[in-house]
Amino acid sequence: MSATRYLRPTHLEEALAALGTHPWTVLAGGTDFYPGRVGKPVDVDVLDVTRIADLRGIQVAGGAVRIGATTTWSELITARLPNVCAGLKAAAREVGGVQIQNAGTVAGNLCNASPAADGVPALLALGAEVELHSGSGARRVNLGEFVLGSRRTARRPDELVVAVHLTPWPEGAKGVFLKLGHRRYLVISVVMVAACVALDAAGRIARCAVAVGACSAVAQRLSGLEARVVGMRPDEAIAGITNADLTCLTPIDDVRGSAAYRRDAALTLVRQAIEQAATP
Amino acid sequence: MTTESISLTVNGQPRRMDIDPRTLLVQLIRDHLGLTGTHVGCDTAQCGACTVHVDGRAVKSCSILALQADGTEVTTIEGLATGDELHPMQQAFRDCHGLQCGYCTPGMVMSAIELLKHNPQPSEQQIREGLEGNICRCTGYQNIVKAVQQAAGA
Amino acid sequence: MKRDLPASAVRTGAVGAALPHDSAHLHVAGAATYIDDIPELAGTLHIAVGMSTVARGRLVAMQLDRVRAAAGVVAVLGHADIPGEKCIGPVKHDEPVFAIDRVEYIGQPLFAVVATSLEAARRAARLAQVTYEEEPPILDYDDAIRANSHVLPPLTLVTGDAKAAIAAAPYRLSNRLLMGGQEQFYLEGQIAYACPREDGQMLVYSSTQHPTETQFTVAHVLGVAPSQVVVECRRMGGAFGGKETQAAYFAAVAALAAAKLKRAVKFRADRDDDFMLTGKRHEFRADYEVGFDASGRILGLEMTLASRCGWSADLSGSVNDRAVMHVSNAYHLANVTIRSLRLKTNQQSANAFRGFGGPQGILAGEHVIDDIARHLKLDPLAVRKANFYSADPSSPRAMTHYGMRVEDNVILELVTELEASSEYARRRAAVDQWNAREPLIKRGLALTPVMFGISFTASFLNQAGALLHVYHDGSVMINHAATEMGQGVYTKVAQVVAEEFGLQVRQVRITATDTSKVPNTSPTAASSGADLNGKAAQAAAREIKARLAAFCASTHGFDAATVEFRDGRVMAGAWERPWEEVVRAAYMARVSLSSTGFYSVPKVGFDPATLKGRPFYYFAYGAAVSEVAIDILTGESRLLRVDVLHDVGRSLNPAIDRGQVEGGFVQGMGWLTSEELVWDAHGRLRTHAPSTYKIPVSSDVPEAFKVSLWERGENVEDSIFRSKAVGEPPLMLASSVFLAIRDAVAAARGGVPALDAPATPERILLACSAGPAA
Repeated sequence: MSATRYLRPTHLEEALAALGTHPWTVLAGGTDFYPGRVGKPVDVDVLDVTRIADLRGIQVAGGAVRIGATTTWSELITARLPNVCAGLKAAAREVGGVQIQNAGTVAGNLCNASPAADGVPALLALGAEVELHSGSGARRVNLGEFVLGSRRTARRPDELVVAVHLTPWPEGAKGVFLKLGHRRYLVISVVMVAACVALDAAGRIARCAVAVGACSAVAQRLSGLEARVVGMRPDEAIAGITNADLTCLTPIDDVRGSAAYRRDAALTLVRQAIEQAATP
Repeated sequence: MTTESISLTVNGQPRRMDIDPRTLLVQLIRDHLGLTGTHVGCDTAQCGACTVHVDGRAVKSCSILALQADGTEVTTIEGLATGDELHPMQQAFRDCHGLQCGYCTPGMVMSAIELLKHNPQPSEQQIREGLEGNICRCTGYQNIVKAVQQAAGA
Repeated sequence: MKRDLPASAVRTGAVGAALPHDSAHLHVAGAATYIDDIPELAGTLHIAVGMSTVARGRLVAMQLDRVRAAAGVVAVLGHADIPGEKCIGPVKHDEPVFAIDRVEYIGQPLFAVVATSLEAARRAARLAQVTYEEEPPILDYDDAIRANSHVLPPLTLVTGDAKAAIAAAPYRLSNRLLMGGQEQFYLEGQIAYACPREDGQMLVYSSTQHPTETQFTVAHVLGVAPSQVVVECRRMGGAFGGKETQAAYFAAVAALAAAKLKRAVKFRADRDDDFMLTGKRHEFRADYEVGFDASGRILGLEMTLASRCGWSADLSGSVNDRAVMHVSNAYHLANVTIRSLRLKTNQQSANAFRGFGGPQGILAGEHVIDDIARHLKLDPLAVRKANFYSADPSSPRAMTHYGMRVEDNVILELVTELEASSEYARRRAAVDQWNAREPLIKRGLALTPVMFGISFTASFLNQAGALLHVYHDGSVMINHAATEMGQGVYTKVAQVVAEEFGLQVRQVRITATDTSKVPNTSPTAASSGADLNGKAAQAAAREIKARLAAFCASTHGFDAATVEFRDGRVMAGAWERPWEEVVRAAYMARVSLSSTGFYSVPKVGFDPATLKGRPFYYFAYGAAVSEVAIDILTGESRLLRVDVLHDVGRSLNPAIDRGQVEGGFVQGMGWLTSEELVWDAHGRLRTHAPSTYKIPVSSDVPEAFKVSLWERGENVEDSIFRSKAVGEPPLMLASSVFLAIRDAVAAARGGVPALDAPATPERILLACSAGPAA
């Protein structure tokens, strides 16, 4: 058996140099990677990025938020963030239990690209961008273009996710996250919905973002719905939401729920999420 | 086999050793250090029986590599008591019958201590939600919740 | 001396005290030793098994060269390596240790890899290349019935004339209920550690509820006499029935490797393998037709109870028998025919799980009652009361459908008390008002009774032994047949011994269950642990007391019958001496200070062919009221409040008993709500890890969870200090959760809802969406 290598750089340059020359498995919290491996072989070379100072911490400036790649869910929950991030914090509280929130990271959740990852819908609704670095440069990718499919992302093997960026929302915008499972917690969910809504002075919807998770290989923004409801009163917007707004979803039958159940439940949750996000 | 050197403090004692980089923290604790109070219940970071503190935060030791704990202070269930005197949370679990088979107990105690550290006077609902990462199959949780309440009042 | 005084007269302190679990101080310190915590002997090897990936078919070829060549592998064992019996099983020996020529479920062991580390063993086990000739698996009830696929032949219980009674009844209905299985999910997975000893002997540390069967299974597989094998179990990290039969497999395979290689061998299944290898609670389907009168009283019932037993018989016979008997729960059935189908399906072999068929039988019976109430638009509680067994033992309505007279019936008394304390009537009205007002969140309320028969239905198992030593300094050691799985039986038995000797419980050292100390033990199952072993330990203590009393009497010239053991002293009239002094003097006078004790339950006897007789020594009673809310748009449900009143007789330890009630209820709630086992069309279990299989967590349990032990409870039979068994009965209190959810669904759609168990959000939503039934 080949020996496993373990590298734990303290500087970003070191990590990028390593990634440029060898297929390392990037490890942050490890909470999604090691489970199931007690007594089982772990045959990959591990690049532990948790000691790189540049990847830590959250910065808020004028409504924009930078979440360092190794920020844990617990750190996110306790950070002072704009109101529109309330849905993201709610999603963070749904990640595993406290122990997993203490170790698991925001960027790790995105990179694992599980169709049922708790963090993705909330970050999608917020319009998150992923900052990637490599030895040859840096780029930012919309989260919707970063997660390509189940367990697939746009990250090249030589790249490292450095941060997640949230662009500003209008003052007073509110975010909501709803999750449905056999149990509320420790559950890989049946359906998740995140919504962010900003109202204008007249109480009409000025901006709306809705993302649905666990109903397709990749969590989806409902862009048609989002555009259609702008200018509407919340109650008329909610009354008009139908299955036609959910056609981009492709739920599957699995042990957690049938496709038909998922579609029904998603419709209910979308309505509830917009209603709650539009309620000051 | 390559090995990596690790040094950490476990229950107040500095430890230094060479380990296979793939060693999980729970394996280091149980197999290398012989601290068998930390239990493996589900092997998949769900049940919480393997919960220990790393730098004061509760983590599931089956879900991280030992090397990730390099340079940290690790506390296991064996490190809570002071001599013969149990930690107030340990005492509360005993007094309140917060255990039956006992297998989940060490992890439950470790999580409960973390819970009170961040929220010294939790509501019952907050206790119930704070222990969602730990499964108990025996007690129905009633006496566990009571134990945390007792420890919070202590 | 042998006369059992009224309980109140003989208790001096130890019995009835709410003492902590005997190992509580160890558990909170991480100092309690489970099998995986025992320091390993040098050279200890580890096991992983290779499993079938096909649910049914012929095993054509196994290519294991790559397995043998893998790093760390010391041996690969298959059926040809077994010196003794190649097939095991608790009743029928129908389970090959390793597949011989056929495979019958996905997960069936094909071979074992023995390696220097667990990691190496598991890695190597995956390298096998196996060729099968696949056959379509039998999974569904109807497929099994059509294929005449049974683990045991069909059986029918007949009392009266059900067909005629139904035909003559003013009202009739028929329905079907599906009930899912349940994984035991003991937190400590299956494990055994086998250590060879001199001259072909074997010591096996096994996490087992049944040390004797484990010992015999090991002996049979090794081809040696059981006297060559010692099985020891200090404690289990939970069992719930899952280690009654299934633990023997792990012990036998570990011992096989240990005997062959002459090294210590440990076999610990990881959670995933444990799910795939071992059985779960039986899934049941109940089809019935019932005739009843305008008050809801059942006049005739015909039911077919079919269960998916998996690939082997295991204990399916007894499990299904108990289901058939518990269909009546607390209700009199005069004319009844119940057909029992024990179907062989290509799944893990369903096995014992807390309640042992009782939960499925009771839920089926409660479902019948609920149907009747909804059909007649009556409160289900009124229909329950109309059907209760008579409290007068001489009444024809005190006779069960299996021919046992109910002589200790307290159900009406207990239910009436709970009805008042839980404010059932007020809350029934409040729930109805809520439902009339709220369109999306519906509430439901249900009060269900439990009447659970206590004893093994296999009558010969109702026996126990104990071994009691008094050392000559006065310290006491007790050993008995029961195993400790968290239920507190060690604590309770120690309390009994302390009570008898008038000592403090901490003066009684209780030691690991060990087949070389107490032989021919029955499993710690059927809720019987404290009942049987408390009595056996009491018998041993009374034997030693009799010797000490006779010794004191002859030395000091008083009547032995006047000697008492109290407060650490031995006394007769004005004479008294410290316990230690009396013991020391008896030792010097060459009085034996060690005794065995034995107990056999009186009165029971049962014919498994006709399902008639007196299977139970007595009944345990309880009742629960559950109130739930459901979201009719998502199907989510939430338990809002529970009130429980449970009869434990005169409690040996109220703290332990309360814990059993609370834990049993929550486990039952999991069975009926969130715990769903899903097998796919190929017969592969898809929910084989805690990520997809959901047992309740702390926030599933409502703050309003009020548990009371029934103050007036007292066993009319001569049980140990008039207590009652408490292990299984409370699990069935959770029927109230399921029927409260059904009540809420009925509020959403009217009529008689079609809701199967477990009531997952998806099933609830489906049941709410279906149009109102007639």
